[in-house]
Amino acid sequence: MRAALFTLGLAALAWGAYLAWDFAHASFRDAWQGAAFFIGGPLVHDAVVAPVVGGAAYLLTRLLPPTWHAPVKAAATCTAVLAILAVPLIWHPFGVPTNPGLHDRDYWAGLGIAVAVVWVAAAVVGLVNGWRRSEQPPNQSKQRAPTEMGS
Amino acid sequence: MTRFASPAHDERVTSRVGRWLGIAFAVCFLTGLLSHGIQHPPSWFTWPSSPVWLYRVTQGLHVISGIAAIPLLLAKLWSVYPKLFERPLVRSALHALERGSILVLSGAAFFELITGLFNVAQNYLWGFYFPTAHYAVAWIAIGSVLVHVAVKLPVIRRALAPPGVDADRRRFLRTTWLATGVAVVATAGVTVPLLRRVSVLAWRSTVDLPVNRTAAAAAIEVPADWHLEVVDGEDVHRFTLDQLNALPQATEELPIACVEGWSASAVWGGVRVAELLRQCGIAPGVDVRVSSLEKSGLYSTSTLPGTHTGDRRTLLALRVADQPLTPDHGYPCRVIAPTRPGVLQTKWVTRLEVL
Repeated sequence: MRAALFTLGLAALAWGAYLAWDFAHASFRDAWQGAAFFIGGPLVHDAVVAPVVGGAAYLLTRLLPPTWHAPVKAAATCTAVLAILAVPLIWHPFGVPTNPGLHDRDYWAGLGIAVAVVWVAAAVVGLVNGWRRSEQPPNQSKQRAPTEMGS
Repeated sequence: MTRFASPAHDERVTSRVGRWLGIAFAVCFLTGLLSHGIQHPPSWFTWPSSPVWLYRVTQGLHVISGIAAIPLLLAKLWSVYPKLFERPLVRSALHALERGSILVLSGAAFFELITGLFNVAQNYLWGFYFPTAHYAVAWIAIGSVLVHVAVKLPVIRRALAPPGVDADRRRFLRTTWLATGVAVVATAGVTVPLLRRVSVLAWRSTVDLPVNRTAAAAAIEVPADWHLEVVDGEDVHRFTLDQLNALPQATEELPIACVEGWSASAVWGGVRVAELLRQCGIAPGVDVRVSSLEKSGLYSTSTLPGTHTGDRRTLLALRVADQPLTPDHGYPCRVIAPTRPGVLQTKWVTRLEVL
């Protein structure tokens, strides 16, 4: 099983490398642009995105009461994902073709509505959590020690 | 010294997120391969003409699994982030190879998701031809996924054994599934009719039948003496628009399903391609090259395979929604065949040639 997966993987990698070489060989501009997108992803993620996410999660854990950790972190995560999906629709430095029926919604409004729904849901969950906690006898409401990304 | 105390970094979390990320990538790869095969068919490849919604579903799955992979990839990378700081950086040649393969995996995964996401928005941050690059890197991505799974298989098996309950681990996983669900619901309305109004970040509108290339963009000028040529070797048959309208007319409800994942169903009216071929003494079921008034460009011609010319639902459409085609929808006539990518539903048709 392992050997089969490994061999299949290597074969796909070799074929991909051949296709990529063919692609890069045809044009210097395409080669460096392609390479920039290939290397840029992991670089930006590891150096910028992950530390920011970790830092934000750490701060939220420190600043928020325990009942609010999970809903606020979940809402923040959903907001970030929605924002990522909205970027290409909202920010287009080189323009987009005018095609009737395509990318013609009000994406700022859409993003606003989706984010609002997420945070209203988080608020409801947080309030219910708090209410449940206050209903429980004190010895059962003990929380775990906070962690930097416990959601 | 960096400390990562969260249970999010536990191998049981990594494996569970990884399993779904692997499934998303596999679906993306296979549906992408199908779409590539339909557009560049090798001699052994055939694509059916039934059910009519097949390409709509496979290409819809392609973009939806790609969208789902975005939060899954970020969660997976967060889960393994502490490994980036492991020291020594390299323990052995094999270890170096493993770390290198993960860089390739991560680079390919980001490349596919970023270029795919911007491409569906027709937002071209790059100068290169997207399909070639996206297709080449897809092989690198799936290859490095397979190698990675092979290398990690013992860890995966151990980690996927029924876990002891841990509230924090479970919370991280639930947040991941929730964010993935939110991403899918926010976009899947591009192809899922029920979600059309709910998906606020869908790249197609709520009402119109979208147009991916306007007559103006394709520089189309329909000559006053326009006619359709049907060519079979030395035989050339010509039809004016009035003559096409005088032939037996048919109506079919067929979706336009774009490579960019959106789809829209419409009621098309016109002449069945099979009927048109018969009128010219040609037996349906032959491959036909369709040429457009568009002079240049990758999609100025397409090959309609025999499977589709033989299918009675394939139309040379003259109308949509009971109205004559507008220039943007392909006036004077266009091909509309079941379960084909939109780019192959050639518009502004001027010639059909039996191959």
